[in-house]
This record gives sequence, C-alpha cells and structure tokens, in this order.
Amino acid sequence: MSLRTLLYSFSQGIQNLFKNGWMSVVSVMTIAVNVFVIVVFYTVVTNIGFMMTEFEKNIGVAVFFQDDTTEAQILELKAMMEKRSEVYRVEYISAEAAWESFKDKYFGQRQELLAGFGEDNPLAKSASLQISLADISKQGTLVQVLKSEPIVRYVRETRDVTYVVEALNKLVTYVSIGLLIILILLALFLISNTIRLAVTLRNEEISIMRYIGARNMMIRGPFLVEGILIGLIGASIPLVLFYYTYPEVVLQIQKSYAILSDYLIFLSRERILQILIPIALGSGAGIGYMGSRITVGKYLKV
Amino acid sequence: MIRLENVTKEYPGGVKALDQVSFKINKGEFVFIVGDSGSGKTTLFKLLLREIEASSGAIYIEDVDIARIHKSKVPKLRRSLGVVFQDFRLLKDRTVYENVAFALEVTETPKSVIRKTVPALLNMVGLKGYEKKKPNQLSGGEQQRVALARALANNPPILLADEPTGNLDPQRSWAIINLLKDINLRGTTVVVITHDREIVNTMKKRVITIQNGRIARDDTRGEYWHELTHSTI
Ligand SMILES: Nc1ncnc2c1ncn2[C@@H]1O[C@H](COP(=O)(O)OP(=O)(O)OP(=O)(O)O)[C@@H](O)[C@H]1O
Ligand SMILES: [Mg+2]
Repeated sequence: MSLRTLLYSFSQGIQNLFKNGWMSVVSVMTIAVNVFVIVVFYTVVTNIGFMMTEFEKNIGVAVFFQDDTTEAQILELKAMMEKRSEVYRVEYISAEAAWESFKDKYFGQRQELLAGFGEDNPLAKSASLQISLADISKQGTLVQVLKSEPIVRYVRETRDVTYVVEALNKLVTYVSIGLLIILILLALFLISNTIRLAVTLRNEEISIMRYIGARNMMIRGPFLVEGILIGLIGASIPLVLFYYTYPEVVLQIQKSYAILSDYLIFLSRERILQILIPIALGSGAGIGYMGSRITVGKYLKV
Repeated sequence: MIRLENVTKEYPGGVKALDQVSFKINKGEFVFIVGDSGSGKTTLFKLLLREIEASSGAIYIEDVDIARIHKSKVPKLRRSLGVVFQDFRLLKDRTVYENVAFALEVTETPKSVIRKTVPALLNMVGLKGYEKKKPNQLSGGEQQRVALARALANNPPILLADEPTGNLDPQRSWAIINLLKDINLRGTTVVVITHDREIVNTMKKRVITIQNGRIARDDTRGEYWHELTHSTI
C-alpha cells in the first residue's frame, strides 16, 4: 500500500465513520465490551499468576526433623536441596529463631507473660527448613525425596492451597474464553454490518472508482481503515476505564480481605498496562479489521 | 488499438448478448456503435472494461489480450479507457472540481499534479468558473461535460461513451459531440454508442451496427442504419 493510498484511505475511512453515525457508535461499543472482557480477564489472570509465584516463593514446603538431628545434618540437607533446580530458596530456621519469632508474633509487647518459660525453649524440636519452590508442580516429587531422608520427621505441604488457586485460575480462564468467543462473534457481526452499510452508502462512488481504474487497495482501504479505527477507539475505552479504576479496585479488595493481605499482592497498574495496551489495541484493531474484511471480501469483488 | 475476435457473450440464464463479434478499431478513429435496444452495445463496453468476461473469443486492447491479464492489472487497463454514460454518474455530494479531482485522487496522482490538471480539464470542456458548483446546480449538458472531464483526467488513449447525449436536447447533444470530435482530433480514439440518427448521419464517421448481438454492418463514413430493418425509427 503506497503512502498516498494510505492517506486517502485514512481520510475516507474517518469520513465513513462519521457518515455511519449510530452504527459506528454501536460497533465501537461492542468492541469496547469485548476488549473490556479481555482487560478484566488479563488483569485477573496475571494477578493470580503473580500472587501464585509470590505465594510459592513464600511458603513452599516446611521440613521438620527427628529429635536427635544435629544442626550439621540439617545444613547438609539444606545444601543438597539448594542444588535442585525446582527449588527457589531454602531457609534454615533454628529452634531459637522459631521461638523468637513465635514470641514476637503472639506475645508482642507483653513479654512479661513469658517469664515462666525462663531460658527453656518450648520449641526446642522445631528447627526447620523452609523450602520455596520455583515450580510448584514439582512439589510432590520433592516431598517424596524429603520423606525418604532418615532425619526428616515431618513435611508440611501447602498443596491444598495451591490447588485452590490453580483451580480458580483455570475457572477464570475458561469462563473468560467462553465469554470472549461469544463477544468476538458478536463484534464481528456488528462491525461487518457497519462496514456493509458504509459500502452501500458509497456504492456509486465505488463503481465509479472501479471504472476509473482505482486499484483494489484504494477501493478497499477506506473500509479496512474504518474497521480498524472502530477497533482502536473501542479498545481505548476499557483501557481508560482500567487506568482510572484499577488502583481503587485493588484497594477495595485489600480492604475487604485484610486477613489475606499477605497473599494479596497486586501487580502495579503500570506493569499491567505495559502488556495490556498492546494486547487491547491489538485485539481491538484485529477484530475491527476482520469484521470489515468479511464484508469487503463479500461485497467488494473487483 | 481495439480488436475483437469472434467474441461471444452469453449471460447466465442463456441470453446471448453478443454472438461471434469481430472487428478492429484503429488508433485515432472515431466510431459510432448503433443498434436497437438490447442488441448488445453496452455489453460490448462492459467486455472492453473487463467488467464482465467473454464466453468465448478474444479481445485485444493495445495488443494485449485482456482476458489474460492478471486481476491486479485490471485497474491499469481501465485507466487506458475513459468512460462516460448517459446518466453522467457524478458524485452528488461533491463539487465539479472535486468530481474531476476524484479520478486523479483514486489513481494516486500527486496533489500538485491534480491542482494543475483539473483546471485545464475544466477549461477544455468549457466549464471554467463552475468549479464550486454541485451537480444539481448544473444542466444535463454541463453535467456530461464534467463526466467527460473526469473520463479524460488520466489521459486515456481510448474514450468510450455509452449514449452520452441520451438525456440531452439536440443543441446540448451537439455541443457534447463536438467536444468528442475535438478530443478525437487531439489523438484519442473515440467510440460512441448512440441512438441519435441525426448526429450519426451528419458526422459521417465509421458506424458499426449491431443487431441481435451480431455485427450487421460496418461502414466507414456510414449512416444510421435503419432502412433495412425498420421503415421508421
Ligand atoms: N447482467 C445481465 N444479465 C442477463 N442479461 C443481460 C444482462 N445485461 C444485459 N443483458 C441482456 O443482454 C442483452 C444486451 O444488453 P445490452 O445492455 O448490451 O443492450 P444495449 O444494446 O446496450 O441496449 P440499450 O440500447 O437499451 O442500452 C439484452 O437482451 C439484455 O437484456
Ligand atoms: Mg446500453
């Protein structure tokens, strides 16, 4: 497509958009709804994914040891674990450290209540290795390996929680994809109708262009541009909406589920937009182009 | 310039609009095509423009077999053929200037060339000063001149006119025909479909008569052919 054809297609495409009035508005709105679903879907899925990785890193597997295990043995196991590729990080929490953290967490300012314990550590046997996984799906195998170690007394898994998150992720994905397919079909239908109207309105012009010897791209260009413009305008609406509402929504969620605040870590608006802008504009323009392409192919045979 | 070899066109449904038609039009000729309504004249033009394709036979324009050119080259073929119609086919929402400029815009002509060419074309067809008028502010004859200016915008070697005076009174018809004559004198090959007996008989140009899809007569310096088939027209 030459630059001149492109410029011509743009000016005519924009004119078409206005000539079509309400049909254009309806088409823009369907694209907006479409892209809105994409935006919500993307935001939810990436945030869940993000939370899951954070979560995996933070929790993972906790390993407790037999009474007679020495610190050296534990550190040996730690070194062994660190060599495994699915392991993200291993942290050794000595019995003393566990007790300190317990005291802080449950007695806080009221350390006087602990006087009765004296120098005894009620958690003397609670030394542990906290293993975070880079890949949660390998957890099962890792646990087997750990359990086969003679010094290991008990392995605490976080399986159940990860299952729930994984299932949730899947559900959101399926529902969104189903919804998207329906909405994309609807948008294609409406856009191709808008373009058909534009083609009909310019029928005479098109036939004149044809016998004057306008090239195919010159005839089709304006309609394709119109479709793409509908797509881009439609896609920017949910993006703007996202820009202004996302921080507020995140805040509300964190407030409502304060108990889970450790796990509810959200991606920043800017980080989501980095990916979301190209996705939204790309899919908007893509649906717009396809919708117009369908009509142009059908009604503009040269 | 234009050569037909045994061209037959059968429309879907079985109407044989043209039947084994052969003729040749040389560069610089002025040719009338006459014949009864439904005899196949417009079909002939549509074939030349490759709007439709012949059922059999071959059509050569400037020695190119137009059935063999690729679809993407059809616009180039059409640029070598200027066309005007009985009903002018101007864009009603655009001015005279814009209607003529349109032909140049859609064939990707640079703006600077358009600015120079359009006034020259309007001048040639005698519409200087009409630039800003809309088609509905013009008489039929004036509208046909705009159409003519548009048809000539890309400087085609061949001009096809399908009943260009069909909607005009005799005086305006003559003005258009004289314009076509001028255009022909400048070297453009002109082919005119007409029902106007007086014009054909006065012009003394070549006349190809089509009857039921066949060439019934082909006279250089001919007359409107009516005596043999009809007592009156
Ligand atoms: N698209 C079409 N489909 C089927 N038949 C057609 C089609 N176009 C034209 N015809 C038929 O082909 C024959 C020739 O039509 P054409 O338009 O070429 O006649 P014409 O000589 O231009 O007539 P007129 O002087 O009335 O304009 C007619 O019988 C017409 O009905
Ligand atoms: Mg006709």
